[in-house]
Order: sequence, then structure tokens, then C-alpha cells
Amino acid sequence: MSIERDDDLTSDERELLARASAGPAVPEPRWGEYQAQLRARLAARRTAAARLRRWWARPAPIALSFGVAAALLLFVLHPVDRRPDLSALDEAVLGARLGLLEHYRVVERLDLLEELDVIRQLDRVQSQQG
Amino acid sequence: MSDEGEAASDEMLCRRIATRDEGSFDLLVTRYQARAYRIAWSLLRNAEDARDVSQEAFIRVWQGASRFRGDARFSTWFYRILVNLCLDHKRRGRWWTRLVMRDDAGDADDSLVARQPAPGPDQGELVSEAQRSARLWEAAHRLAPQQRAAVILYAQEHLSTAEIADVLRIAEPTVRVHLHRAVAALRRELAP
Repeated sequence: MSIERDDDLTSDERELLARASAGPAVPEPRWGEYQAQLRARLAARRTAAARLRRWWARPAPIALSFGVAAALLLFVLHPVDRRPDLSALDEAVLGARLGLLEHYRVVERLDLLEELDVIRQLDRVQSQQG
Repeated sequence: MSDEGEAASDEMLCRRIATRDEGSFDLLVTRYQARAYRIAWSLLRNAEDARDVSQEAFIRVWQGASRFRGDARFSTWFYRILVNLCLDHKRRGRWWTRLVMRDDAGDADDSLVARQPAPGPDQGELVSEAQRSARLWEAAHRLAPQQRAAVILYAQEHLSTAEIADVLRIAEPTVRVHLHRAVAALRRELAP
């Protein structure tokens, strides 16, 4: 390479890099076709961008955007409480067991079970009472 | 395009493109198309990808010409767009794309050997030289993408290390490290 370089590579190293980057001949395209394709791509891109701008300029998308923005704002300002209501759950479970309360008297007397001495001497107490 | 347009600097053309001057765009494309395609092909080693990516770089120039600051050279700005697109393209490349590209590279090696002069008295030496070049070319393809970009911009486009640093948005010493490591990797490849 004849160009003066201000790097710290030796001429051998530069030649090595030049050979590594040279490789086979680049298969060049037909430039006329290339430019025509580029112009078509650019036109398509500009048309798409213009179409998008026109779409956003219509009243419906603007109304839709405002609607979505308002919904988001409402959601942020008044968040829906999505935590489960534990007391309501409790009530529901208790409601399912309401049948137990029909025998409340029996349940109340179960306290007697705590009096083991009384239970052990139940026959005697009954006979004494009798 | 008038003579005045032909003589206009790249930076001047870019400023005109910012005002949606299609003639300036066409002129800039004509000036840079071969370079853009060559760099893209060297980095991607696939003709179709090189065409797509280099055209995309020109479209980005059209779209972003108003963002071009006059404090840098147009070529640096353009190379940056192009190299970034190439590196992104490679990053996004699927495994099958890489396989196809390897096949392309294999074809390139064959053609390199095939394009040697007809057999003569020093045929053995020529074939061996072609094989060395093919191995070098393959080894360059295995370098890390940014390292390869540095090598191509340095050796093929003759950019200085400072310009390469500007294009790749890295420090100049890092460019030097890339080049030295590339040399070391290529030498290892050529070692018997």
C-alpha cells in the first residue's frame, strides 16, 4: 500500500491485511437496476410513511387515541382493587356450614366433654339423679 | 444534474438532500454505490444481502439527512450507517443464513483458484499462492464482526485509524488493538 499511514503496523502487516480483505472480485450488480430498485424502495417507504401520517390525521384514529389515553388515565388514577376480599370469603364458607347451627344446642353441650371426671362418672350421676 | 451539482461536495449534497432534492440524492448514490456495495459485500459475503443493506443505507441517508451535522465528513457518517446496518444484519442472521453464506464463501474460494492464469512453468507456486489467499480470505471471515469491519475499512477503503474509530464509535487505541489482533489471527492461519 503506497498510502502513508500513521498507525504502528509494519508494511508486511499492512500487506497481510490488504490481502485478507481483497479476496475474490466483488460480483458487482448492474448499477442501473440497482438504482431503479433503490428508487422503488424509497418511493414505497415514502408512500407508507405518508399513508401512516394520513391515517393518524383522520378523526377516527384521533378519537380512538384519546379514548385509549383516557382509559389508561382512569386506570392509573382509580386502580381497580384486585385483591380478594377475605371477609367475604369467610362469610361464604360459614354460610355453607349453616346446617351446623341447627344443632347448636348439641354443640353447646359438647362443652361437657371437657369435664372428663363428669364423663367418667356419668352413669353414677344419672343414677343418683334418677 | 448540472456541472455545479457534479462539483458539489458530499456534505453540500447531503444538505440539499435534507431539503428533499432528489437530484442530489441520485448524485450521491452514484458516487457511493460501488463503495457501499463493496463494503457490504466484504462484511456479509452475500450479493443479495449486500444489495439490500447498501440500499437501506442510502434510504437512511434520505430519511436522516437533516440530522447530518456538518462537523464530520459525510463519508464517515455514511460508513457508520452502512457498517452498523451490516453488523445488525449479521447479528440478526439466522443459522441457515450463516450456512448459506459459508457456502457462498466456499464458492468464492473456488473461483479465486479457478481465476488463476492458465498452467505455466510456475503453476505450483501460483496455485499455492491462490490457496494462501483463499485461506486468508476465509480467516478474515472468521474474525469478530467489529474487527473485520476495522480491517476492511483500513485495508480496503484506506481509512485512517482515527476515521475508523469515528465510524465504529470506538476509541482509536481499540482500533489499533483490533488491527493487531487481526494480524495475529491471520498469521496463525497461515502458519504451517
